[in-house]
Amino acid sequence: MKLETTHASADVASEVVFEAKGLKKEYDDGRVHALRGVNFRITQGEFVVILGPSGCGKTTLLQMLGALAEPSAGILHYRGKSLADLADPASYRAREIGIIFQAFHLLPTFTAVENVQMPMFETDRPAAERTERAVELLKLVALGHRLDHFPSKLSGGEKQRVAIARSLANGPTVLLADEPTGNLDSENSKKILELIIRLRREQNMTLVLVTHDLNIARMATRTIEMKDGLIVADQQVPQTAA
Amino acid sequence: MNFLTIVVRGLLRRPVRTGLTLVGISIGIAAVVALVGISHGFEASWATGMKVRGTDIVVSNMGNALAPKPFSAEVRDRIGKLPEVAAACSIYADLTSVEDASMMVVSAREWGGFSWQNLKLISGRMPNDGMEDAVVLGQTAAEMLKKKIGDPLQLETKELKVVGIVDGGAMVENGSVILSLELFQKITGNEDRINVIDIRAAPGMSEEAVKQLCDKINAIAPEAKAMVAGEHLGNSQAFRFISAMSWGTSLLAVIVGVLGVMNTMLMTVFERKQEMCILLAIGWKPSRIIRMILWESALLGFLGGIVGVIIGTISVKVLEQLPAIHGMLEPDFNGGLMAVAVVLAVVVGVISGLYPAWRSSRLTPSLAMQG
Repeated sequence: MKLETTHASADVASEVVFEAKGLKKEYDDGRVHALRGVNFRITQGEFVVILGPSGCGKTTLLQMLGALAEPSAGILHYRGKSLADLADPASYRAREIGIIFQAFHLLPTFTAVENVQMPMFETDRPAAERTERAVELLKLVALGHRLDHFPSKLSGGEKQRVAIARSLANGPTVLLADEPTGNLDSENSKKILELIIRLRREQNMTLVLVTHDLNIARMATRTIEMKDGLIVADQQVPQTAA
Repeated sequence: MNFLTIVVRGLLRRPVRTGLTLVGISIGIAAVVALVGISHGFEASWATGMKVRGTDIVVSNMGNALAPKPFSAEVRDRIGKLPEVAAACSIYADLTSVEDASMMVVSAREWGGFSWQNLKLISGRMPNDGMEDAVVLGQTAAEMLKKKIGDPLQLETKELKVVGIVDGGAMVENGSVILSLELFQKITGNEDRINVIDIRAAPGMSEEAVKQLCDKINAIAPEAKAMVAGEHLGNSQAFRFISAMSWGTSLLAVIVGVLGVMNTMLMTVFERKQEMCILLAIGWKPSRIIRMILWESALLGFLGGIVGVIIGTISVKVLEQLPAIHGMLEPDFNGGLMAVAVVLAVVVGVISGLYPAWRSSRLTPSLAMQG
């Protein structure tokens, strides 16, 4: 199945998706420095893994990329436009990016097919079309037989598949994943990673994934290693691994 | 799935709490429906009483008391001379205890006056003359006093005889003890005193002309006030006080409902904080979250309103059957009152949801990544 995206793949192949210059984030009136001046560039189609110990600032960085939090200082551009100056950050989150959380974060009172439809409420799609697309997406992640199951009736791996389908709801060009296998056993972790990587490759999406797991890093096209709010290493991974 | 599905699921998430909140708000609305319905019914019944008596204008002095203040019987003669007045009937109406009944309408009417004409005999007869020691009872009054034809009835210090039971065509008439004005004045020592004059305007007069006649009467009879029949009760300070008390009591109950809904919606925002942050993180606008909260509270109000209208109506129907007040209530549950009650409940719901909605608008999507 070919997913719809907001940008044609060929046009954006070498386009700079994210560009950060001197990015800083402070909490508690400057007592906590989560990011201390981060610089990087991410281009369309890259699979970037952000590595580092707990508290190094990788999740904060992912929040910035998702416009979930604003930087204290520095510049962060998305396709040449400052994320801080976005008139409608919600629209950016709804249409440009898809987010996958470690704890799945499905809504417990909604079925799988309903959960996938949630981001589509910020689009003009009619109800029937929303349902149709959610069904297609769930089939894409091999959950066509679990459409009407509530999250409490799904296994961890299945929940994360629903979350992945939800992240693709509005055809994003960027996927942001925060420890997507952190709550899964090794077998499910492998399957989920394979799914995310396959989808990223098929759709030429940019994937930014935060993890502790070095095995995942080996599958990426590039790794960014962080420590104490700074990037300490930024290197390409040989293409055969991706 | 549409947006309403999301709203309904939000309420069904905690069915017991939603149910209890519904009960809270519906009790408030039930109080509005019951008290205001009874109050409107009383007013409507009074107006019906005037209509069945064929009264166009009521001249009375409705002050703070439940019964009008007395004035000189001579006023009737002054008014009766006006060419636009077809007929005038002097009345002395009082609200007083009669035997075991703590409060009854005693309606003493000018013997031979038109206000006797609407009374239809169910049993017995009418008094033979204005000075016969006799009363007729409205059918509800007879039931309340447990009287039948020939029974004695103690009024003040005088023992009178029940000679007839009548259907007056309206609740107020049927709940009255009716006797001749002359007899009542003699018993109570209120010779030459009356407190109401029923007036029939000349045939063919328009509403405007009847109003102009009121002004004319007011000019020649400053002791009392002439008002178009049906409107005079609303002019009574006592009735206005009772009406205000009905609304006041109802609104207190509604305020309790408001606090209940507000508490529920605040709990909802606190409990579903992360869920809302997730929705923000996946692209929902804060305005949609606000709408979700407001729709939930409005729906809660709407359902509470419907249930409240049902409870209020049933409660009054049950109340009407109680022996102590059987026949004394004629509630007016018109569509307008029902609609006002439901709209009030929805408004209560929306107002209750404003603060929780504002709280939800301050959530930050980054919290979605915490835990």
